[in-house]
Amino acid sequence: MTSNRLLTFYTWAFLVFMFAPLLLMILTSFNDTSPPSVTDWQGLTFKWYEFFWMPETDLRADDVLRALDRDRFVGCFGNSLRVALTVVPLALILGLAGAVMLTRWQSRANGLLWWVLLSPMLAPGVVLGLSALVFWGRVGVNAGLFTIVMAQVTFIAGYPMLILMARLQRQPVEMEEAAMDLGASPLRIFFRITLPFLAPALVSAGVIAFLASMENYNTTMFAKGGSCTFATEIGAMARNPNGHPPVINAVGTVIILLTVAAAVTHAMLQRKDHRA
Amino acid sequence: MHGMDVTLDRVEVTYPNGFTAVQPTDLTIRAGEFFSILGPSGCGKTTILRAVSGFVDPSAGRVMIGGEDQKGRSPNQRPTALIFQNLALFPLMSVRDNVAFGLEARGVSKRDRHAKAEELLHLVALGDQADKKPGELSGGQKQRVAIARALAVEPSVLLLDEPLSALDLKLRQHMRAELRDIQQKTGVTFIYITHDQGEALTMSDRIAVMNKGRIEQVGTGDEVYSRPDTAFAASFVGEINQFPGRVSALDGEMAYIDTPLGRLLGRNPQRLQPGAEAILFVRPENMGFQTSESGQPFGNQFNARMVRRDLEGAFINFQLQPEADTPSVALHLTNSGAVPAFEADLDTKVGFTCESALVLPKGQLARTGREEA
Repeated sequence: MTSNRLLTFYTWAFLVFMFAPLLLMILTSFNDTSPPSVTDWQGLTFKWYEFFWMPETDLRADDVLRALDRDRFVGCFGNSLRVALTVVPLALILGLAGAVMLTRWQSRANGLLWWVLLSPMLAPGVVLGLSALVFWGRVGVNAGLFTIVMAQVTFIAGYPMLILMARLQRQPVEMEEAAMDLGASPLRIFFRITLPFLAPALVSAGVIAFLASMENYNTTMFAKGGSCTFATEIGAMARNPNGHPPVINAVGTVIILLTVAAAVTHAMLQRKDHRA
Repeated sequence: MHGMDVTLDRVEVTYPNGFTAVQPTDLTIRAGEFFSILGPSGCGKTTILRAVSGFVDPSAGRVMIGGEDQKGRSPNQRPTALIFQNLALFPLMSVRDNVAFGLEARGVSKRDRHAKAEELLHLVALGDQADKKPGELSGGQKQRVAIARALAVEPSVLLLDEPLSALDLKLRQHMRAELRDIQQKTGVTFIYITHDQGEALTMSDRIAVMNKGRIEQVGTGDEVYSRPDTAFAASFVGEINQFPGRVSALDGEMAYIDTPLGRLLGRNPQRLQPGAEAILFVRPENMGFQTSESGQPFGNQFNARMVRRDLEGAFINFQLQPEADTPSVALHLTNSGAVPAFEADLDTKVGFTCESALVLPKGQLARTGREEA
């Protein structure tokens, strides 16, 4: 019995440690005081959210908000989207190639290849960012969005590869053999049989790659040069010694909502996929 | 559609791990024939099929189809179509698109290939299921889609890899008749792989019995069942009683064999000489009870105790334990004539005619508990 109670206690403690900070952050995003606080409640406000679309004159009128560079913030967010939308297709193509090779091309080198392709996922993000910076610097490319994309793709491609491999292993090889026996060329087999079978997994893999790219901080930090992304910009603002503006808490709240929505969608897609 | 003959000329298949799945094999399958390869799992029968379809390259010998060497031709270039054990229907395509897939790959227009698909679906009595997905069909219907899909490319040789093994018994028996029917309607050469002797016997024009990478016997169902060439063929096809011993004397076409049950007499088709180690085989339905009223005594008889009686409908199966310390003996009687009352441990006398017994050289036997998929 005691062990059971201990487990219950541990579970609740775990959940509190996990979610209490998030709840506090959500609360502070509605409190009219800066730096964020829950103990010093100054009244309900939505201005930390409205910051992103309020007219310039209102912005200037607010003591806290006028210190912030809204255009830069929005610009960095745009950069993040641009990076993610480039990373996703690249990661899917590379991941698909790796998955097909590792599941269908039976070779002794497969074991080695598996580790080579997955090692960027295990390597510290700092190392990936730094090596991308050094490599592209030597090649003569200035650090910027391009190097961010290159650095991110090296490890993000691993996620689609794992997801697609799991799916490919569930497709009996006989399916492709049957198509071949009926006279189909390898290209037709890929586009008519393999790719449609992979479609749901490609969607999941795309969502996960997108999230991984959007939230990436450490690798991006090293590869970004003079540019910025949403994550690095929030990081910069959070390092303010006088405490960060609650705008960040508002952004955090929106990200939590989006993440939950994406996770739920993904789970629903997967369930549909399992039923099929 | 027309069938083509298939010839294996000293075909041997050794896998990269050194395992020889098929020993050098010669085999001729006639055009338009329903030919079965029968053997236990792992005997190499699927490998032969894959060598004919082009998924496996023989390590030696030639595969000829319609007189042409198939060397260097991949599966999509051979006049064969393979029906996989798990059918391998395309789950995301409709039944119609499944059947039309081979024609699609050949660049046939949508209208023509759909017309052809409809025609074939009617042939297999699935005309009204064309818009469904394979997942919505029953086991027997999926089976027929796989057949229609294979026939759509007008193969000269249809290869079937235990396609009925996933079906239940009733459906399996029904599909046997249907396969036979489709084969006769189309005239395509069927090569049918199975470990189920019932399937092989009911459907085939000829059967090859295979064991450990070797074909032990090729013949019609009657030949293989009534006149097996080897101990393995005798013991694998159908139930059979075995009395191992040593040939002691010859009597024309017949041979005496000394067994723990005494001296028994049977046909000696392979002209074994005295001293040879041999097994006398006799089918349970050729065994009978020796009663005082039954007049004519059997050529071979011995005392045995009744162990069990199983009613199987048309047959009543007895299990008997001979006096000597030998394996038990099966005896099948038709459920119409005089059937003795059963009583456990009742002492009886049983026997069989010399003509119904077969003396064959000692050799590897099939496992008695034959696997049933």
